[in-house]
Amino acid sequence: MTEPAAKAVEVVELGKNYGPVTALKSVSFSIESGRYYALLGPSGGGKTTLLRLIGGFLRPSAGRIFLHGHDVSHLPPNRRPTSMVFQNYALFPHMTVERNVAYGLKLLRVPASDIRDRVDRMLAMVGLVGYNRRMPHELSGGQQQRVQLARSLVLERDILLLDEPLASLDAKLRKDMCLELKRIQEKVGITFIHVTHNQEEALTVADRIAIIADGELVEEGSARDVYETPNKRFTAEFIGDNNVLEGTVSDVSATGATLDIGFAKIEVPAPAASISTGERAAFSIRSELLRIAGRDEDIGASWQVVPARYVEDVYLGLTVSHLVQLPDGTEVVARVMSDSGDNGRFEPGDDVAVGWPANRARLHVA
Amino acid sequence: MYDDFANPWTIRLKWAYLLAVVFALLMPVFYTIGISFNLHGFGARIYEFTFDWYRVVLGDTLLVISLKWTLYLAVATIAATIPMALLSAKFYKRTRRKVAFVALMLSPLFVPADIMGSSLLVFFKNLAKGFAWLGQSLGVGWFDSWFDLGFLTAVIGQIIYTHPYAFIVILITMSRYRVQQTEAARACGANAWQAFWHVEFPQIRVGVFSSCAFVTILSFNEAVRTALLKGGFDTFSNMLVAQMLNIGMSGESYAMAGIMSIVSMIVIGTVIVYTLVRAERLERRARAMAEPVMSG
Amino acid sequence: MTDRGRDIPAPPARWKRLVGEDGIQKWVFYIPVVFFILFFAAPMALTVVWSVFERTQFWMEPGFTLFAYENFFTSARAENYVLSMLHAAAAVVISFVIGFPIAVFIRRRVTRAAQHRVILLFILPFMISELVRVFAMRPVLGRNGVVNSVLMELGILSEPITVILYSPLGVIIGDVMSFLPFMIFAGFLALEAVQNYIFEVCDDLGTGRVRLFADIVLPLAAPGIFAGSVFIFVNSMGVALVPTLLGGPGAVNAGLIANQAIVALDFPLAMAISTIMIFTLVLLLYIGHRLFDLTKILEPIS
Repeated sequence: MTEPAAKAVEVVELGKNYGPVTALKSVSFSIESGRYYALLGPSGGGKTTLLRLIGGFLRPSAGRIFLHGHDVSHLPPNRRPTSMVFQNYALFPHMTVERNVAYGLKLLRVPASDIRDRVDRMLAMVGLVGYNRRMPHELSGGQQQRVQLARSLVLERDILLLDEPLASLDAKLRKDMCLELKRIQEKVGITFIHVTHNQEEALTVADRIAIIADGELVEEGSARDVYETPNKRFTAEFIGDNNVLEGTVSDVSATGATLDIGFAKIEVPAPAASISTGERAAFSIRSELLRIAGRDEDIGASWQVVPARYVEDVYLGLTVSHLVQLPDGTEVVARVMSDSGDNGRFEPGDDVAVGWPANRARLHVA
Repeated sequence: MYDDFANPWTIRLKWAYLLAVVFALLMPVFYTIGISFNLHGFGARIYEFTFDWYRVVLGDTLLVISLKWTLYLAVATIAATIPMALLSAKFYKRTRRKVAFVALMLSPLFVPADIMGSSLLVFFKNLAKGFAWLGQSLGVGWFDSWFDLGFLTAVIGQIIYTHPYAFIVILITMSRYRVQQTEAARACGANAWQAFWHVEFPQIRVGVFSSCAFVTILSFNEAVRTALLKGGFDTFSNMLVAQMLNIGMSGESYAMAGIMSIVSMIVIGTVIVYTLVRAERLERRARAMAEPVMSG
Repeated sequence: MTDRGRDIPAPPARWKRLVGEDGIQKWVFYIPVVFFILFFAAPMALTVVWSVFERTQFWMEPGFTLFAYENFFTSARAENYVLSMLHAAAAVVISFVIGFPIAVFIRRRVTRAAQHRVILLFILPFMISELVRVFAMRPVLGRNGVVNSVLMELGILSEPITVILYSPLGVIIGDVMSFLPFMIFAGFLALEAVQNYIFEVCDDLGTGRVRLFADIVLPLAAPGIFAGSVFIFVNSMGVALVPTLLGGPGAVNAGLIANQAIVALDFPLAMAISTIMIFTLVLLLYIGHRLFDLTKILEPIS
């Protein structure tokens, strides 16, 4: 037909209403072919709606969807080059594992011997060799999701949609399945679009992440960028464990801005932001970058330091969170590895200083 | 749920009461069947077993013809009601005006037979007159007699009567079905019909079959609406009403009542046995599942 | 896989879209609605119109007259209508007293798996023709029927009681025997929606039997009880069979009055009676809905 398109998915001003309720406002973005893409956001934010629109399970109220350059907005799910893995309950309970996986091939009238081969190959890929004759209710939750994955992958469609595929699994299993999904995606090389509300899951599997909230695309970028240098305040609050402080811009220079947060003036790098003096703005800093020291200790040369009062520590296993209160009453958190020597130095009520590398703070315009 | 602290004798007493009510509800029917096999009929001091009354009934050509009509009516009613109940249940799942829809679908349950029959009778008579008038004014007559009282009007009356029951049964079975499975089927490449036929239908089959049995029995037993709407033929239950009103408690009436109840009991018995056997099978499968499964 | 997206079909032709999932296929689902509006709602609504038509010798003609209503209210029919309401109310109360405790018992004391099987026991009699069941009350309740012969055999009676057949009492007994299972179904369905923990909380709080019944079971089951009661009430009023077969001379109910009007070819009168009956029903349902919110009954199936 046409030349191969680099964009697997392109969504233009896509919107969806349910009567008076708007689930998705007007979202535009594109996904390159062969990526593992995560749609991350809080529940009810519209990410599942977006996925189901791409899959053809919902009809858009506005906008268009292009898959590999073709407008598919008018097509039902079975005529799109997509396949979907659901959260749960989606295996056909009256069919064996084998028949579940073979179902789509049967509809395509693939010869029976081919079907057997392809089903076996797929079951091997998802690690379920020999489970052919089991019924879905004889499988664990993780195994059921593997069967779903096989059922979708066997069709060799170009785009795989995963709607909270791991949400009903326990934490340990979810971690294993994440790595498994990543491995499978790298092996088959097709585009995966994975919806989740779990940031750890998204960071583990995805090359790129889109943050979706309140029916809007908040931010989109590589997993590392979204985690380390979020542009939007919402992203900073949603991903990782960030401290967000608000203030007024008091000075703007070529490389950064100075934020007046009441009791201190903070230098924040702002390479491309267009802000002007007097505007309200905020900055965020990840809690693992914060360090707490005594008032007169020298933390570091290029560090931004403010006075604070020690509140308490909370043991979280791998890390310990230290809570301190700034002069204006806001509380910030510093996370330290549990086995480092920095724990237990202060008592609640102690006067301390808290600091962070000045160049790691990120400015968020309101 | 079971209360470990309840007095076992109170529970036994309650069971006895429950079974007594079932007995009271069923006893008259079995008593009637008993009479129908007595050569001397009701009230006789001696009981002499015989099939004579049944022989008389089944030897009556008019009655055999009425059985034939009953069968036609039942088949036509099932053929129309079951697909429609499936459509209604699907419609219920997707519509946003659930309450209004269910109210419309279930309200026939609350309109007594004679009232609904009278209204439909007058409705069809008017409709037939309207169609005849329309045919005359247009000069074409092929639809003149569509709504003259007859088989079609009787079937419509029976659909209105049986549909709510079939709808409820199918809806209850369908409520256990997960929509994700339809979507998964669509994602596998099935079109809407294939998704229904391969994935949803096998899971609601039991409900569809039991509603078929349900509709059969209701159609078979229905007398009042049919009597008002049927036009020129008689069903078995119409004949029984006539028999009871004109001749009273004759041996034939008992035999006819016997036939009606025995047919119903056979149908419902089959359904119950099938359901119980199925439940047993599912239970056995569940037990097998509880044991560790070998992974090969 | 260089030529990604090769399987994507072009937009379908217009006629294909017409029969596709947004065209005719979508409208197929409206068939039941259309059918029920056409052959159920419309006839019921038009009943009101026909009830004010002029009566002719064999049929009726358009017009406006309240003659049928006058005829109804000034004859013995109105009195009989009220009387049949009383009989129906009695049948409802008796069905509740006999049937509802059974529904509670099944819900509370029978194991989950067995509950539906016990309910099946009550579907069985309902599945046998009402005609036969009502008819069968004759040899049971009659002068030398089962009840009398057994009671006399036991020496409890010396004379057969005749008040239980061909009498108002016979009609009430017939109605209860016909419709009792509905009270059990409706009550059970309503109680099935009540979570087990509610009963457990009550046990924990030491709620007494009476309080449990009055404060918990009755209010929670009220919509179901009401639906069952309305069903029994209107059917006791409207099913002509019962007074025909079990009532004494002149015994009628609303259904039988309508039926007799049809037989006498007085169609406007039949329609007027149907109208009054339908209004009685709608009024009852409206009151019930205001009191108990009948939409709650639908919860288990939505």
